Amino acid sequence: MSRWLTQLRLTFRSVFRKTRVDRELDEELQYHLERQIDEGLNTGLSPEEAQYTALRAMGAIAKNKEECRDMRRVNFIDDLLRDLRYAGRTLRRSPGFAALAVLIMALGIGANTAVFSVVNAVLLKPLSYRDPDRIVTLSAASTTGDAQGPLSRQIAILDFDGWHDQSSSFESLAYYRSDETAVMPGSAAEYAQATVVSPEFFRVLAAEPMVGRSFTAEEVQKGSGAALMISHGYWQRRFAGDPRVLGQTVRMSGRALPIVGVLPPGFHFPGKTDLWRPASTISREQRGYRSRNYLAVARLKTDVALERAQAEMTSIAGRLERQYPERNKGRSVTVARMRDDMVGDIRLTLYLLLGTVTVVLLIACANTATLLLGKATARTREVAVRAALGASQRRIVRQLITESSLLAFLAGASGLLFAYWGAKALVALAPADVPRLAETGIDASVLAFTLGASVITSFLFGLVPALYASKVELNEALKHGGTRSVVGGGLGRTRGVLVVAEIALAVVLLSGAGLLIKSFIALHNVALGFRPEKVLVMRTTVPAPLRVANQFFKDMLSQIATLPGVLAAGATMAPPGNAESTSATGSYFIDHMPARPDRSNAPGAVLSIVAPGTFAALGIPVKSGRDFNDGDTFDAPFVAIINEALVRQAFPGENPIGRTIFCTFDSPKGMTIIGVAGSVRQYGPAREPMPECYMPYQQHQYNGSTLSVVARTVGNPTALAETVRSLARERSPDVPVKFTTMEARLSENVAAPRFRTLLFGVFAGLAVCLAMAGVYGVMAYAVGQRSNEIGLRIALGASAGSVLRLILGQGLALAGLGLALGLAAAVAGTRLLTTMLFQVQPNDPLVYLAVAVLLGAVTLVACYVPARRASKIDPLTAIRQE
Amino acid sequence: MSKPTDLVQGTLDLLILKIVALEPMHGWAIARRIRQMSSEVLQVGQSALYPALHKLEQQGWIEAEWKVSETNRRAKYYSLTRAGRKALTEEAAAWERLSGAISAIVRTV
Repeated sequence: MSRWLTQLRLTFRSVFRKTRVDRELDEELQYHLERQIDEGLNTGLSPEEAQYTALRAMGAIAKNKEECRDMRRVNFIDDLLRDLRYAGRTLRRSPGFAALAVLIMALGIGANTAVFSVVNAVLLKPLSYRDPDRIVTLSAASTTGDAQGPLSRQIAILDFDGWHDQSSSFESLAYYRSDETAVMPGSAAEYAQATVVSPEFFRVLAAEPMVGRSFTAEEVQKGSGAALMISHGYWQRRFAGDPRVLGQTVRMSGRALPIVGVLPPGFHFPGKTDLWRPASTISREQRGYRSRNYLAVARLKTDVALERAQAEMTSIAGRLERQYPERNKGRSVTVARMRDDMVGDIRLTLYLLLGTVTVVLLIACANTATLLLGKATARTREVAVRAALGASQRRIVRQLITESSLLAFLAGASGLLFAYWGAKALVALAPADVPRLAETGIDASVLAFTLGASVITSFLFGLVPALYASKVELNEALKHGGTRSVVGGGLGRTRGVLVVAEIALAVVLLSGAGLLIKSFIALHNVALGFRPEKVLVMRTTVPAPLRVANQFFKDMLSQIATLPGVLAAGATMAPPGNAESTSATGSYFIDHMPARPDRSNAPGAVLSIVAPGTFAALGIPVKSGRDFNDGDTFDAPFVAIINEALVRQAFPGENPIGRTIFCTFDSPKGMTIIGVAGSVRQYGPAREPMPECYMPYQQHQYNGSTLSVVARTVGNPTALAETVRSLARERSPDVPVKFTTMEARLSENVAAPRFRTLLFGVFAGLAVCLAMAGVYGVMAYAVGQRSNEIGLRIALGASAGSVLRLILGQGLALAGLGLALGLAAAVAGTRLLTTMLFQVQPNDPLVYLAVAVLLGAVTLVACYVPARRASKIDPLTAIRQE
Repeated sequence: MSKPTDLVQGTLDLLILKIVALEPMHGWAIARRIRQMSSEVLQVGQSALYPALHKLEQQGWIEAEWKVSETNRRAKYYSLTRAGRKALTEEAAAWERLSGAISAIVRTV
């Protein structure tokens, strides 16, 4: 290692302190000469004789020096520096060409670097915990393999206890649950993301607070007074980073909890947590086996592989299933690395994006290669002269590669600039729930990536032109001194091949983008079953007994309904149309509740609590029967409204009104069906409507205290927010409220498809532009090559129109070939998109047809200028030129 | 680039390493020492000596330092590095093997 350093230091010295090294070499040899002379004098020679003898013995001093320099590897570097200087001069001589080439490559490299910096932050960088690869998630899985709702990964504490007690693969094992909770850090209530954690949680993640301490053994005891740890972000936001935050209290569920620690800035788990508190302390956790509301994480023991842990958990789950068939039938566990688990759906999107920009880069390379080929033709004579003066082919190729490397490095440097902005844009456009997106930036691995991309691309676009240029027929080139006929046919063909490849690659991207666009439009045009326009949503939690909460909502709703500009107001526990829906699901029974209900085989439905007026506010049609009203209280007969999907499932061809439904919710009472509502897509446009049973909020204990008030307005719904907020404040200062609109919630749904579609579209557009620049270049070149032939045709009577057609036809032939190859590749490649497409098949003929038409049209545009120039060729000039 | 022709290729490197292992020495002294130690049999031309010295320095086997010589003039003294000492051991062993093998053949025939 130190030897390499020595060598490097010496090489640097030889190159950068050249005069000094040369002087030292002179002095060293001079010394030798003097000693030689001294020796001669000592043996009795005269001074002249001694000097002569010594000089003869020394031999050719100049040659000697050159050899010493060679040994110091100075010449290799000298050549390189000379090549670089020469390359710099060449590029400066044609600044337009250089700028174009650098721009094209910078776009390609910049796009790659930008996407890579996101991939690096989200997928590649290790999590900022100690030994992150040993942190795993344990989630519920189905042994029957059928997909369930988005909540199906969650587990019950009962499951967790079994795993915790029986497993031996883990150092520590914890469960947690994160909710938006009402807290009072000051005098007013607000929402904060609060996570309830079991005792080993921070040991699993190996997290230490940066200020204060972790929970003590006493604080995590069941039924203890509990304590809070807060996130760095919450500390800054809520307490302005005040170090005296320790010991301050935050009110939560009616208790004042002391803050004992602040976690470091890099710690975000789970998600956007503001506050952590020990489980089973100030409130009891839900211990029923159907309360699958928790998630689990664990730290593997150092010597345990993921596969072994999975095998152990599978066998434990099997044991539990046999032991408790009623609660665990068909249920198993999946053990996954936390990073893989966190990344989830975005992985495929990001890798596809990386693939897309790689294709763009390849197109850019092909483009630059055709540019350089054009240049190579013009430089035939220069290369021939160099070859005639004795430069070897290797030496010439090296010179030309140096030139393309210089281009690539300039492009890499400018690409970094593009990437800096591009990465910012990507982060801004990406869906908000992508983990670790904020860590995106230019770091060492991103720089290494850019450097690597520059080196590889310089070979990709530089080698072919360099090899062509160096294979010059000396005699011919020197004799003609011109640009034609020397490297004609082969070169033209190479450029044609490159352009066809560009078109084919662009077609693949264009097809992918077309499919995504069509799918995105389909997603937008889905009938949701409700009207989301102009609906204000106010999430509200009343931390008080149900009767008080009921009264609060009842008063609020009647007040809001009378506000000017409000058409209807209601409240629901789960506003529809969002994949992150907070709705509950359960099974239902019609007419009577069996004595021993077989819950796992009973039909399921979404169960939701609503206030009167909700259907009108959300624009859900009530098809028959009536809406709820204020008379549907806890003391009145229990009632329910079901949707059409449930009618189809449970009452085919019958009238459900007046029948009784039992739901596995908070009460075993039967409910009389009083109405039928239209079906809505509860989980957003991508999922079909599920059967749903609506229940009035005054009749149900569960979640009557947290509802989202929905109000349909005449004008802009957000304009109403402040009025409603002050109404709520007046009524009760400890009620937190949070505003959004139905439309904003819906747009979160399509954030991921919008991101994909937009980026694919942009990159496909870039690819098509680059490919068309290539088509233009190759056609302009062809016209230049054939100018005298075309001149001859015109002289012989060809019309301008027929020349135009000739050239356009040639361009279209290239495009057609590229299109055919590209479509074949697209049919195979777009299969990767299948899981991202909605109501569109990857082989959608309409999309491919559109791609073909679009490509044909832009090809005509790209060919038109050269074709027009060809038709304007003056036959006399063209023929004279030869 | 010409190679030392008066000695088997690589042998000069070995000789230089061996000589400078004894004490730091400048080029002229190294040449003289080789001549003396081989009883005037081996003559090292300057045209071979200096490229070899510079190559060994570039390889990190010897290092150079300017010092005042016995004749009171500035001269470039070469000395063995740690890596050079290791190389010397290996080269010497290799040479022993090679020369032993050659003499064995020469003697029997």
